[in-house]
Amino acid sequence: MEKNFNLPPKPNRQKKIVRNSAIALILGVIYVWAFSGVIEKVDWRFFDRIGENFDRVVPRLVDVDWSATSKVLELILETVFIAYAGTLIAAILAIPFGFWAAGNMVKSPFWNTMGKWFLILDRTFPELILAILFVITVGPGAFAGVLTIGLTAFGMLGKLYAEVIESIDMKVVEAMEANGANKIQILFYGIFPQVLPEFLSFALYRFEIDIRASTVLGIVGAGGIGTLIVITAANRDWEQLGLIILAIVVVVMVIDYISSKIRKRLV
Amino acid sequence: MITFKDVSLVYPNGTQGLKNINVKINEGEFVVIVGLSGAGKSTFIRSINRMVTPTNGELLVDDEDILKVEGKDLRKLRTKVGMIFQNYNLVNRSSVMKNVISGRLGHTGTLRSIFNLYPKEDKIKAYDNLRRVNMESKLYNRADQLSGGQQQRVSIARVLTQDPSIILADEPVASLDPPTSHQVMTYLRKVNQEDNITTIVNLHFIDMAMEYADRIIGMRDGEIVFDGPVSEVEEKTFEQIYNRPIREEDLRGSEEDASTK
Repeated sequence: MEKNFNLPPKPNRQKKIVRNSAIALILGVIYVWAFSGVIEKVDWRFFDRIGENFDRVVPRLVDVDWSATSKVLELILETVFIAYAGTLIAAILAIPFGFWAAGNMVKSPFWNTMGKWFLILDRTFPELILAILFVITVGPGAFAGVLTIGLTAFGMLGKLYAEVIESIDMKVVEAMEANGANKIQILFYGIFPQVLPEFLSFALYRFEIDIRASTVLGIVGAGGIGTLIVITAANRDWEQLGLIILAIVVVVMVIDYISSKIRKRLV
Repeated sequence: MITFKDVSLVYPNGTQGLKNINVKINEGEFVVIVGLSGAGKSTFIRSINRMVTPTNGELLVDDEDILKVEGKDLRKLRTKVGMIFQNYNLVNRSSVMKNVISGRLGHTGTLRSIFNLYPKEDKIKAYDNLRRVNMESKLYNRADQLSGGQQQRVSIARVLTQDPSIILADEPVASLDPPTSHQVMTYLRKVNQEDNITTIVNLHFIDMAMEYADRIIGMRDGEIVFDGPVSEVEEKTFEQIYNRPIREEDLRGSEEDASTK
């Protein structure tokens, strides 16, 4: 081997150095600006009271008040149902929109882009804003929560479904075209078997997210445990709030665990 | 019978796929198309079931010009002309049976097929065809549990289940090892002889073409440069078709060679 062998120089080396140092400089400036702003705005007296507040609240949070168990259980169940119903609506509604937004299904670029933008538009609405809108239009309660979850989950699931559809093996579709199958038969025999397990897996994953999301919907009156959180916090009933947090943690953990087990077996 | 009358095909990007093809393929013939990649073998084969559409000329399948058929008539043509692919193109997550019965799709109504309500004779036909390629023991396995050669045999069963009078095979053994390649070609040959199905196979292995074909058509740059029975073919013929000396990579090797390796 030649001792002084050097690899040929990389092309555009100088350009890359200039570009990367520019990026580093800009990032540095943003960091300095952000942290200096934070340090300036902090109310340092907060730290004098923090120990005192913790001593007052945390022991009472841990000293759970079990007397409210049945009420909390009922509401937590409602929360799970809101998430379930909302995700179910979204999981089904997202199928046609997923196909609409998939580039290999809709040949016209204009229509396809319309589908993609429709789903983006849906994803831009924050959950709580939608929840407030639904509480105003259909009245407070679980139904507003279901609609909120359904509509927000639908945007994300539609996008994920479209990506699944775009990644399928189109050769199978070709084979079915070649044996004389019509479009609907191709859909059921060539496309659904490839995408449905992944659709289901994404819907379950979204269900995990929606459980967490639906616990806070009640804060604006859209049903579930959130309403109770607001009331207990306002009453400074820390023992009951302790129970609520415990219940949420347990339910979210159990459902996450089960759903990830199922998802592993699906794909 | 398949008749190409002055058929040409120009792709939208300007590439000429076929140039003035004139050829007649008789019923029950086993024809192998040879040529280097890019010679137009695939385009030739895919014109016959209209997976591509020639831009000029006339292409007759059983005395019907197929270049103008659309919609329902096109699907009817495709039930008559079965196709086998290099990558088998099975639905991986579906069972072998479901893949094979999907050969009946062109003959079955939409609703019936969606709800899996095939007539009993169709199911028997699917099972019989699996038996012909010795795959009946894998009936309920998922397609992705099978080896490449087994998948190609399932795809032969699928194509037989559609009751074709013509089978097109586009590089059916290019992804397989030598012994499996011979097995698949043997099944294709058997089906051709027993059912008198016209079979057109694209191959780039010279020795396999010589072993299985009745007739060899050589293509170069979208044109037919040789057409004749196997008895007229010698090494020089392939050198003419390929326009270069024969190399080792043009040979697949015989079954015995491969098994002693």
